[in-house]
Amino acid sequence: MNSLPVLEVNGLMRSYGGGKSLFGKRKPVIHAINDVSFKIGEGETLGLVGESGSGKSTTGRAVLHLETPDAGSVRFRGNELTLLGPQGLKPYRRQMQMIFQDPYSALNPRMKVGRFVAEPLVVHGVEKGSALRDRVAELFKRVGLDPSFMSRYPHEFSGGQRQRINIARAISLNPAFIVADEPITALDVSIQAQIVNLFQDLQDELGLAYLFIAHDLSMVRYLCQRVAVMLRGRIVEVAPTEQIFSDPRHPYTRSLLAAIPIPDPDRRRPDRTPFDVAANIPAREAQMVEVAPGHFVLDQTTQ
Amino acid sequence: MKHFFKDLTSSKAGLFGAVLLVIIVALALLAPMLHLPDPTRGDLRARLAGPTWDGLFSPGAHPLGTDEVGRDILSRLIFGSRMTLMVACTAVVLGGIVGTILGILAGYKGGFVDKLLMRLVDIQLAIPLMLLALLIVAALGPSIQNVVLVLALTSWIRYARIIRAQVLSLREREFVQSAHAIGASTLRIMFLHILPNVMTPALVVGTLELARIIIMDAALSFLGLGVQPPTPSWGRMLADGRVYLSSAWWAVTFPGLAIVLTVLSVNLFGDWLRDYFDPKTRSAK
Ligand SMILES: Nc1ncnc2c1ncn2[C@@H]1O[C@H](COP(=O)(O)OP(=O)(O)O)[C@@H](O)[C@H]1O
Ligand SMILES: [Mg+2]
Repeated sequence: MNSLPVLEVNGLMRSYGGGKSLFGKRKPVIHAINDVSFKIGEGETLGLVGESGSGKSTTGRAVLHLETPDAGSVRFRGNELTLLGPQGLKPYRRQMQMIFQDPYSALNPRMKVGRFVAEPLVVHGVEKGSALRDRVAELFKRVGLDPSFMSRYPHEFSGGQRQRINIARAISLNPAFIVADEPITALDVSIQAQIVNLFQDLQDELGLAYLFIAHDLSMVRYLCQRVAVMLRGRIVEVAPTEQIFSDPRHPYTRSLLAAIPIPDPDRRRPDRTPFDVAANIPAREAQMVEVAPGHFVLDQTTQ
Repeated sequence: MKHFFKDLTSSKAGLFGAVLLVIIVALALLAPMLHLPDPTRGDLRARLAGPTWDGLFSPGAHPLGTDEVGRDILSRLIFGSRMTLMVACTAVVLGGIVGTILGILAGYKGGFVDKLLMRLVDIQLAIPLMLLALLIVAALGPSIQNVVLVLALTSWIRYARIIRAQVLSLREREFVQSAHAIGASTLRIMFLHILPNVMTPALVVGTLELARIIIMDAALSFLGLGVQPPTPSWGRMLADGRVYLSSAWWAVTFPGLAIVLTVLSVNLFGDWLRDYFDPKTRSAK
């Protein structure tokens, strides 16, 4: 990662609530993400792992400016996005896409899937008429779907097929970077591997960079070059994938590792002391320290 | 479509409403071809003639009797239904279009539009609709256009409220976020992604509104503020016939029955339609 990263995020913040409720009571503020920073190189996959509610989706949405961050900076190939309005962001929307967790709610139930996949091309005025149709057919084939499915509605598809449709839409504009928000969590275990393989093939072919969000570490190992672990809105550890698995430093990372199911019943899990989130809320002033080259840990305990 | 009819035939009330509605609409549409007596021409020799089934198919027969100037009540009912249905349908569609667009705008955009709309809802809820309609028609003068306008005015807000609530939940759905992520314009999101997904609730509100508007239209013409004579209208027939209630019961009974049956059929069909489209009641079956 000596060259310019495709994405550089610094000190990103986003909180919810805080407004006044109907009777003038202040609603509590939730800091969904707090001081989140990371980089992703061209063609690289960064895994983002953490329990549900830790702020992973919020991070993905804030990076793509689907909601405006409260503070912090997001740079795409060196260009600052945070100050751009909707019009200024539009050219960058061609380059960055998102794939959502729930393949059921991610498709418009009232739109034929061919039209849905074609929509980005139409919005950006890339293709028209029969060229558009050909391009969509090609995209369908690319993600392993029969192009004759184009004229069907979403309810006729299985979860795995729907996720393929979402992927086809996301890659239609040849983006450089995709946020994949738990793209396989809602799928059957038998299909998860197929979709992960599709992600990998597309990356090899198109040179895509991913922010791959997951709630556990099992799939991340195969897909990601580096992993960031998130806890209560903060990144507590970032390291190359092998480092995370061989030398986890943060107690929360260790507890995530211990939770990975081990197929071999004879092997014992290393450390099964349950992780107490409440006792480990990252301190506000805690800083990341580099414990090995490229391996950062949030130094929250004054050891 | 197949499922639609199968479900309909399994609901007694829904089927009854649908069949009745089809008959009423068919009669209204086919009225000019039914060789009915002229609904506006009276026959002074046959004033307030009672219903009689003798010589049913002869030219001078009045199966439902005649009114105070000797006009055939059956013919007036059928021709009256054309006007009632046309006025009510136009008002429902007009109110539906305006209400749906404003509901989407308020739900998706929020902010000022939303606040303004909700205030209007509060205000309209506080004013009796009938009173509002009376005031406006009285001020503008009774004409078909004004009646349609007033009825639509009392109607759009019901669509807007329900559509707005739907949009509030649709807005959070991932396909809407996905449209946002590809850089789709707000207009595109509202009309291509939100609108098709609120058509079903709009349709359901529409049928229920149709019933309410038919009653309101009848009430307006009962008060002389609707369609003007000699064009037949159900409300007017009620108003004119009620004077003779003790001597000629048919002059009010049949128009009243026509209103009741039409409203009933629309309501029964609308109720079924709502259940049909409601996934909760559907899965329970
Ligand atoms: N639109 C929202 N409004 C209010 N709170 C939200 C919203 N989105 C997320 N949150 C809150 O922010 C926190 C992080 O949520 P999220 O990013 O969805 O976590 P994750 O994807 O890791 O499960 C949670 O506490 C959640 O309740
Ligand atoms: Mg999430």
